[in-house]
Amino acid sequence: MSSHYIRFSFLIIALLILIALPFWASRYAANVLLLIFLYIALASMWNLLAGYSGSISLGQQMFVGLGGYSVAVFSMYYGFPVFIGVVMGGIISVILAALISRPISRMKGVYFAIGTWIIAEALGIAFSNWGYVRYGMGLFIQPAYKLSLFSIYYAAMIVGLGSVGLVYFLLRSKLGLALMAIRDDDVASETVGVNIFRCKFYCFLISAFVTGLAAGIVYLNTIFIQPFEAFGIGWTVNLLFIVIIGGMGTVEGPILGAVIFVLLQQFLAEYVGYNLIILGAITIATIFMAPRGIMGTFQERFRIVFFPIRRE
Amino acid sequence: MLVFMEPLINGILLGGLFAVIGIGLSMIFGIMKQVNLAHGEVMIIGSYLGLVFMRLLGIPPLVCLIFVIPCLFVIGFLLQSYLFNRVLGKGMEPYLMVSFGLSIILQNTLLKVFTPDARSLDSSLTIRTLDVFGLLHLPVIYLIGFAGGLVVIALLHLFMKRTYLGWAIRASGDDLGTSKLMGINTSRVYALAMGIAAVTSAVAGILVGMTFTFYPHSGTQYLITAFGVVIIGGTGSLMGTFLGGLILGVAQLLGGRLLGPGFQLLAGYLILLVVLTIRPQGLFGRR
Repeated sequence: MSSHYIRFSFLIIALLILIALPFWASRYAANVLLLIFLYIALASMWNLLAGYSGSISLGQQMFVGLGGYSVAVFSMYYGFPVFIGVVMGGIISVILAALISRPISRMKGVYFAIGTWIIAEALGIAFSNWGYVRYGMGLFIQPAYKLSLFSIYYAAMIVGLGSVGLVYFLLRSKLGLALMAIRDDDVASETVGVNIFRCKFYCFLISAFVTGLAAGIVYLNTIFIQPFEAFGIGWTVNLLFIVIIGGMGTVEGPILGAVIFVLLQQFLAEYVGYNLIILGAITIATIFMAPRGIMGTFQERFRIVFFPIRRE
Repeated sequence: MLVFMEPLINGILLGGLFAVIGIGLSMIFGIMKQVNLAHGEVMIIGSYLGLVFMRLLGIPPLVCLIFVIPCLFVIGFLLQSYLFNRVLGKGMEPYLMVSFGLSIILQNTLLKVFTPDARSLDSSLTIRTLDVFGLLHLPVIYLIGFAGGLVVIALLHLFMKRTYLGWAIRASGDDLGTSKLMGINTSRVYALAMGIAAVTSAVAGILVGMTFTFYPHSGTQYLITAFGVVIIGGTGSLMGTFLGGLILGVAQLLGGRLLGPGFQLLAGYLILLVVLTIRPQGLFGRR
């Protein structure tokens, strides 16, 4: 019982430090942390699909692109406040996810991976041929110039920490129980009455929504959006790296992975071109040496779990 | 009607090239039930090696095949021996991710070595077109691609049916346990199979380099093309792969003619998604 309180107070203190951070830390530090929050959100959602629902998606960038373009279009073309645009990005992503969920659910394993990727590529081509969003030239999200770093930081923090909380409570709910049953034995779980399609459907929608939201904030920060970058496979490359290094199928994995990834990215920024080679090599080395990632290996060795999914 | 005749015929010809792009992926998928996401990059390495030999020796691109084929065989063999064999039998995810990591490494290494400039394997054949009664204009290079497709698939068919190694590869694909019991060194057979798949990629890489311009990141696009061929044609069947290539080629060129050149790739992707939804095992595949 006491360990529960220690953990709880530890989390509260960490939260307070993060809230106070932009008041005392440098602009650079706040910017790095902002990126970490956003990658935590994106990676947690990829992990929800890959680590818990057993479907490796190579097409998360479809929601990244939609989220980014929603912010641009709703704030610039229609004059909505930018954060309404961010929420719209989440909603539009969910609509797309719902539309493609039927066909997608028929694809298993590798087919799912490539199917989602092709949808994202198709969207990228469609957007680059669409005059409404200025073809492949891209858009500058002008309303985002007026935002202070503070508001983007807090938005990123809410989405980042919120997504961790969401995954945590989701996995402790009935849905999480069903997901793990499916992961462990799909035939047996279906026999005892778990509706596999519905469970994966909910996961897919949630993942689409949060990815769309986080992407909107990403593009508030970068300000410029261009179809082949927004719908590019590079996003999923990063998420894959984060989750594999951190530990797939753990709640903490994406957090640790995102910290490592963003710091490594800052550190390797001067070695342009080599950073992705190094990231790829680290990914392969992790799969060979610690297939459960850092957090997974750590948990196996020491049996310490910060976010226990099992209810004692 | 004649307006659609040209894209139709050119699509069929282009489809032969697409079949060569997809055949290696199809072969590996049939044998190991795994998808090599670095397939496109291996092929583009073939294109760049062709460029290197062309510049070094001043020979036409098709002659470069003599040098590029052994190079890629070795690359494929080594990749399978030292990377992929280690993650076989651990399910789908590790293989998928190792090959994905490899594709990122290869792509960025190519970018470092060859710069992001557009390249092509120029020869006197690339620009020539064939006039058919003044009605149709067929690029000669498409005809070569189509012929290349037929030759590669015929040779692969003979190899699989007639040689001991071909039997061993097929046996390992059908029943891994029994083939081991029969004394087949399956990890070596897998490595040789990947080498042969890489050889088909060498041919594909040279033909693609002669037909289109290529960049270090072109591999991604051709991986999707290859996957399209495999999905439409169904896995493991050589004839299906060939027909899959034809359908994808026709879909792209007809789509491009109907909707505008920007939508050429999109038309191919849409056909692919429709097939994935309706018949995930492919149009000519068995369940």
